[in-house]
Amino acid sequence: MLVQPLGSLAPHLQRVLRSPRAHQAVWRHFPSCAVPHLHTSKNLMSSELKQSDANQRKTSKAQLERIRRADTGSPFSVFTAGAARKRAESVKSQMGVELAETSTVTKVGKSLVPLKPLNVDDWKKLKTESPNKTRFEVSMMEKLLSARADIDVAKSLLVFVTMENGTVEYELLLKYLALCVQQQHLTEILDLYGMMKTRFKILDIGAYSLFISGFSKTDRWREAVMFLDSIKKMVTPSPRNYGDIVISALKHKEVETAWMLFKEMENKNLKPTENTLEAFFDYGKSFCDDQYENKVMYILFYLRDNQIYPGKGLMQSIHSWFESIPGKQWEGHETTILHSGKCPVCNTLLESIQLSVEEYHLLRECVMNDIIQGTDTFKKTTPQELQHFQTFVKNRPPYDIVIDGLNVANIAPKGNQSKILLDVVSYLANRNMRLLVLGRKHMLRGTRSWNKGHMADIQKYADCFFTENISEDDPFLLYATMHSGNHCKFLSRDLMRDHKACLSDQNTRRLFFKWQRGHQLVLSRYNPGNRMKFEIISKYDTIVQTTQDTWHIPYDEEGVERCSYEVPRKWLCLRKYN
Amino acid sequence: MWFRVAHIFQTFAGHYSLQLKTCVKNKVPLIRCQFMPHHRMLVLTSCKKNEEKKVSPDKLDLDIWKTIMKETASEAPKTCPSEDPVDAFSAATREMVQMWRLAGKAVPENITEEQLSIVQELPSKSAKKKYLKYLAIKEGKKKATKEKRKIKQEGAEYLQKEKQNGGGVELKNTFLLQFWQRSFDVMYNWRAAQSMLFGQPLVFDMSYESNMARREMENTVSQLLECEGFNRKSLDPFHLYFCNMMPEGSYHKELLKRYGDAWDRLLITVTEKSYVDIFPKDKLVYLTADSPSVLKSFHHDKIYIIGSIVDKSIQTGLSLANAKRLKLATARLPLDEYLKWDVGAKNLTLNQMISILLTVKETGNWQEALKFVPKRKHEGFLPVPEQKYCNQFKNHQNKTRIDNGPVKKARRQKSTLNLNQGVEKSSNKKRWWLDED
Repeated sequence: MLVQPLGSLAPHLQRVLRSPRAHQAVWRHFPSCAVPHLHTSKNLMSSELKQSDANQRKTSKAQLERIRRADTGSPFSVFTAGAARKRAESVKSQMGVELAETSTVTKVGKSLVPLKPLNVDDWKKLKTESPNKTRFEVSMMEKLLSARADIDVAKSLLVFVTMENGTVEYELLLKYLALCVQQQHLTEILDLYGMMKTRFKILDIGAYSLFISGFSKTDRWREAVMFLDSIKKMVTPSPRNYGDIVISALKHKEVETAWMLFKEMENKNLKPTENTLEAFFDYGKSFCDDQYENKVMYILFYLRDNQIYPGKGLMQSIHSWFESIPGKQWEGHETTILHSGKCPVCNTLLESIQLSVEEYHLLRECVMNDIIQGTDTFKKTTPQELQHFQTFVKNRPPYDIVIDGLNVANIAPKGNQSKILLDVVSYLANRNMRLLVLGRKHMLRGTRSWNKGHMADIQKYADCFFTENISEDDPFLLYATMHSGNHCKFLSRDLMRDHKACLSDQNTRRLFFKWQRGHQLVLSRYNPGNRMKFEIISKYDTIVQTTQDTWHIPYDEEGVERCSYEVPRKWLCLRKYN
Repeated sequence: MWFRVAHIFQTFAGHYSLQLKTCVKNKVPLIRCQFMPHHRMLVLTSCKKNEEKKVSPDKLDLDIWKTIMKETASEAPKTCPSEDPVDAFSAATREMVQMWRLAGKAVPENITEEQLSIVQELPSKSAKKKYLKYLAIKEGKKKATKEKRKIKQEGAEYLQKEKQNGGGVELKNTFLLQFWQRSFDVMYNWRAAQSMLFGQPLVFDMSYESNMARREMENTVSQLLECEGFNRKSLDPFHLYFCNMMPEGSYHKELLKRYGDAWDRLLITVTEKSYVDIFPKDKLVYLTADSPSVLKSFHHDKIYIIGSIVDKSIQTGLSLANAKRLKLATARLPLDEYLKWDVGAKNLTLNQMISILLTVKETGNWQEALKFVPKRKHEGFLPVPEQKYCNQFKNHQNKTRIDNGPVKKARRQKSTLNLNQGVEKSSNKKRWWLDED
């Protein structure tokens, strides 16, 4: 039954892949886009299959149509998870460099670790043989730790040390403690704690962290909170410190303690680890009351507010937690969202990528203050130029597309730069767009790559503004786009990461990124003489979101490296049946 | 095998363990006692129980170190000297530092109150660790020099003794008195004084106080000290100006700290005024790595400005912004023209800058001057058709004044391109717009 639609798809897919356009040599000029595009059409088969599995109402006709649509506009935009990686790969393969796979150079045992406990004499012999006599014990313990050796070997080493020196140094004890924690010898950890407490007045942060993760697995997990307090006296504890205790508190059904710690972490601006969040969902299944449900909802909104995308493991925990709620029939599916912003499983329209009016004004303000003016207007431009530009923009009606002239002109390594720009500008102008082209003054000088005739033509099609050669043009681009209003888009391949970094706080950076995803046009294919193609701007926002009876949660796939300026592709759709 | 023997001694167990305790107390290495029967005894008392459980003999004594540790624990609980509870927080920090030391982290052995308060003020754990590591390295270096000095002193004393034993010192017949450092200083100061009257000014712009962290400021002042020293010792020194210097600012404080009394006797001009108030604007050239134009040859009638800033967090375009604001000419060193650049930023330290400028002032030879660029940053000199470069340049010499009119500027840049087209192509991202091909 499933094979059937696939069978009917296969020839079409092959046609798509073999279509002459895919084989044109030109795509090599656009490393950023062409390869991802091809890749998605190949991948499409599996994802489509899953969808048809989830939703059998879809006819194969609709699927065909969707494939065709995917072909006309790659769903794989620059902001999709893994795009940067693919770009790097294609650039490297073009340069003829084999992409060095993360070579797993395992430390081949040049220094062997004893496998069985040795007695004192053997250790003594080993020590005289070793090149590093002063720190022999510590380095040996480190080796044992990295080799995950048996704890008895470590113990025998400690016996040897006590026989030699009459005592064990703190550093060695610490390494031994790390070994115990690594292998979860809980009684040994408790013993060690008793010993260290009597010997040392306080311990260092490393030891406290180790004790926290050790104790939180035992019945004495409450004492771990005490260690946390001692750490707090010196530095801010790490998210893992908190996480260890939260997990054990949840395991012992002490929801209040866990919740208090979670809140504390949030107040300190620490990002909880994946495991911590997973624990809330995993252990939450056993005690399901309204109060706890509220807490879980709070966590989901926390993910939303901080734009945290769960990993595969956490996603599965969330999935099973929802399905375990008694009384309400939740059903979850993994899916990918259509271009239209519609979830193929439940047909819900996802949140729009457009900013709200207040958000838009806030962002515009911040872009003006932080990115363009900054601490010193002279860094990026001059006040006169800025003034000039502002009046220039103000005196003209809003634009539809603002073009980064230099970025667009350099899209192909070969070819006349002004010609490329003219092509793009005329293409867009013929679609009745009001255009603004930004550039630098040197473009007007009339050189071989900047033909004066071309430049004159461009000025016929569009308004142009040329900045000084030493000014930056990106801030002007952002300003002009924002000033023209919400409908205005900008055309550039630049990811604007440096400008995003100029923004003062995390929230505006997130707003900027959302705005960028919704307003940045990227030229995905350009072939002189042929039509050009732009990457599709997604209509929906990739963020954890909910309606009355659905939740949509984007998550990171396993094995896909996602950069900070990319968003996941896969979604978890949760739907409630009443 | 010797477990059996142990039974014989069993009755003496209490007695032996007592002996062991004293042994540990006196920190006598136990290994020496191994041949003594009583040591063996202690091992066996715990073994005996296990033997019945049929555990392999290897495993038997694995926990003995704990008993020993526990016994010694009561003796030595004072690894951390208890602090006065005056300032609990600083005491806690001090203890933390001590424990880090015990844990084998790079932290200093001794830490002063002032340093401690700096540690406390630092916001994050990594900042604290970094600062402590810095202190540890500093301490280590200090110790090493102390040691060296000691050895040297001992050697000198030994030589002295040898001499005394070998008879009186033979007096040499020379026509000069010994030339002491003092005489050198007089000569250098004489030169510096002359340069203050007739020398070419070189300006250090001290307006970056707010752009630097403490460490950067300290580094800047060290570099300034080196600059002044190198300048003084050169044949034809510059007349150094420290402009925009805020009295009681952090530059001033740090310089006072480093120079001490000598600060008031220094033969340089320190002023609160800006360079634009002192010198004619058209003579000023701001040297900055971000500049679009290249310093092709050194002009003896220009006044060069160096921004005295160490910029560890990358803040590009700071000094260029300053020059733009005051509408000054800017220039950068011809690094790409002469060197095959490899790694590292193009901004050089202040002392490297002054060395380069002094050399090019004396010799007019960039190849010679750019030897002061750190070797790690470049792969070697490029074969520049120097003659051509210099000759052609003379024709354009009057054009090097940097104009504010954009049209003129553009023309000037074009001429630059013609001059060094061959070199230019190599890799210069900054001026890619000059690329005409």
